[in-house]
Amino acid sequence: MPLLNAPLNVELKIIKILVDEKTKRHLENLGVLVNALVTVMQVSEGNVIIKIKNVRLAINKSTAMKIFVAA
Amino acid sequence: MIKICLAGNPNCGKTTLFNSLTGSTAHVGNWPGVTVEKREGSYRKFDEKIDIVDLPGIYSMSPYTPEEVVSRNYILDEKPNCVINIVDATNLERNLYLTTQLLEIDVPVVVALNMMDILKKNNETIDIKALSEAFKVPVVEISALKDEGLDDLMKVAYGEAKKVRKGTTILEKTTVGSLVREAYNELKTSVSSPLFHAVKLVENDELECKDHPELAKRISDMKSKLPEDDFEGDYEAIIANERYEYIGKNFKHTFVKFNEGLTKSDKIDKVLTHKIWSIPIFLLIMFVVFHFTFSEDFLGLNKIFGLEITSKGWFNFFTGMGYDGAIEEEGEAILSGIPSLGVFLQSWMGFLTGSIIDLFNSFLPEGAWYTSLICDGILTGIDSIFSFIPQVLLLYLFVSILEDSGYMARVAFIMDRAFRKFGLSGKAFIPLLMGFGCSVPAMLATKTLEDEKERDVTIRITPFFSCGAKAPIWTLLAAVVAGRFLGDVFVFSIYILGIAIAIIAAIIMKVFSKNYDVPPFIMELPQYHAPQFKNLMVHLWEKFKHFIYKASTIIMAAIIVIWFLSNFSWDFWNGMVDDIESSILASVGRVVRYIFYPLGFGSGADGWKYTAATFTGLIAKEDVVGTMAQLGLVEGTINLSNAAIYSFAAYNLFTLPCFAAVSTAKSESSKKGFLVTLAWWLALSYIVALIIYWLGTLLEAVLWLGSIVIVVIVLLVILLGFYVSKKKRAQIA
Repeated sequence: MPLLNAPLNVELKIIKILVDEKTKRHLENLGVLVNALVTVMQVSEGNVIIKIKNVRLAINKSTAMKIFVAA
Repeated sequence: MIKICLAGNPNCGKTTLFNSLTGSTAHVGNWPGVTVEKREGSYRKFDEKIDIVDLPGIYSMSPYTPEEVVSRNYILDEKPNCVINIVDATNLERNLYLTTQLLEIDVPVVVALNMMDILKKNNETIDIKALSEAFKVPVVEISALKDEGLDDLMKVAYGEAKKVRKGTTILEKTTVGSLVREAYNELKTSVSSPLFHAVKLVENDELECKDHPELAKRISDMKSKLPEDDFEGDYEAIIANERYEYIGKNFKHTFVKFNEGLTKSDKIDKVLTHKIWSIPIFLLIMFVVFHFTFSEDFLGLNKIFGLEITSKGWFNFFTGMGYDGAIEEEGEAILSGIPSLGVFLQSWMGFLTGSIIDLFNSFLPEGAWYTSLICDGILTGIDSIFSFIPQVLLLYLFVSILEDSGYMARVAFIMDRAFRKFGLSGKAFIPLLMGFGCSVPAMLATKTLEDEKERDVTIRITPFFSCGAKAPIWTLLAAVVAGRFLGDVFVFSIYILGIAIAIIAAIIMKVFSKNYDVPPFIMELPQYHAPQFKNLMVHLWEKFKHFIYKASTIIMAAIIVIWFLSNFSWDFWNGMVDDIESSILASVGRVVRYIFYPLGFGSGADGWKYTAATFTGLIAKEDVVGTMAQLGLVEGTINLSNAAIYSFAAYNLFTLPCFAAVSTAKSESSKKGFLVTLAWWLALSYIVALIIYWLGTLLEAVLWLGSIVIVVIVLLVILLGFYVSKKKRAQIA
């Protein structure tokens, strides 16, 4: 499911990242990689705050829709 | 000379360390992207002078935004003698990622584990021996904030700087190891830092592949023989993954269990980034800030309890209100309420500077030209600006507190949704918010935006976020309108108007630019922390120093020129004129003022004075009130209508900012963008002021008709917004 619809405060695994190349590079450098573990902390009007590698990252809605996670 | 640079993730304490090492006072804040340019200073505790270079924070050696390019290019091209890699010890996993990349460059590296004080407070330790052995570089524990371990760090770095180091990589034993080796063998004789470039080549870096096309082909053939994996041949992802895997595998035991579960920061965020309450809370915070700074009736106490004081008793002495020269006669009501902190400070400052002028007046001979120059020119001009300084500094203090606590990054986040509709990302909000302090650093901060178009648009609307130098204009006008309605509401409304017009301007620019996608918003949210007192004071001191410097140079020069122009006529060899109306400035102003006729403040006997003030504002915005004071326009003598006051305020808010800001805009925007920007500022300020004056006049004359017209205009703007967002949605679908 997309990050946007993921349940809050549950550790999930990233299975797919479908954003453009440049953004993908940036996300990778921040540790947002396939198979990485991620927790959704807050959803505010579609924008999300995630916890990954113990860092809080804010991500906007359209990007969050393109990151897929599974339990 | 030895050059040592500081590299590390954003917000890991590089600038704090830089300040401690060099005794500088560079700006520190709690959000990613405070430093946008490299900065140099020197460390003098050794016999040899050492140059310290502070770089913008980077997450990796593959830059994403222009300010990250600055860092990468510096490390690769300028060849420092040593790189101090600052690592946030409370978040090793993400910070060491950059370390693994820095190690691949042929440069001595020292890892500085920062924020050790926080670790010690929580009784945590890090196995620095293991780290040092694994990376084969020295590791030093420091706390930049508490000044701990800095001497050790510099001793180690100084020693390393004399050595030569070959790059090493942690990718050696991974699936891509053979590819990197192959590329390395080919490159090692032809380029510097061959290992770094070899890895880039394996990552399929565009530039690198173009430089070595044959090698790139051989590598890609080798890649096709490797087994498939989860990343579908995306080698940048594979390498990024290998780095994180390596860090996880080798240093898992050294990770500190910080920030796990719901931290205090997370709980605060549940409220401050709430989907409904976040924006009202932000507006409330801003209003409280303005109320504390500009209100003449603190918390509405006077309105509720009806305070009226008619003598200069201790109570007045305490609030400062009766002493700023406004009250002449005993028995007149002095105090209409308890003033806010800002107004209180302003009153006393006005009293102080007023007394100084009186003092000079008392011993300088009456009627001499130099008395006029000193008292009516320089002192009056400086006084008019100085008395507003307490309020400006107070406003700046509040913004610094918000910056330092970490709230800025959250505001960017909650604003992103709204901003996206206007063609900007939430990231643009940080430069804009900095615009409340000064447009120059705000425009420099647009370097953190990855898209050129977004930078242009942001620069164009930055001056609409009223800067500290414009604040004296509003405060002066607030004092004028205070008798008609509330001063703090007036000032707040100016700020809100600025934001509203900025939004509308962004929408208009969006309509006229085709196929433009707002870049995604991805931002690290730092932990909240209590603002550092020392840090706040440094910010204030810097601001104050900057102001004093400006006041004593460019503002002073403008004031002297204005004094000359307003006290002499064209035949100036005949001495000073008695009547200001026959001065050079008056005769020029009377011609030029026709430009501002339609805006309301150009007409009337004083019209040329407002015109002159507006023009001196181009030199520095403080000069607007400075000039007004010299020409005799102060609280009691400004007799514009409400509409004209608003129009005057709006024109000065939206027109060309000061020269410093204009030249910054030139250096930061795209070539084509800059000319558009100039035309844009001139046209927009005129149109907005015109609309305000005409609507305001209409409102004052015929209330119902004016109301209808305003409602219609607001509706049109909303419709425009809807139209844009609908078009956008249609494009996506």
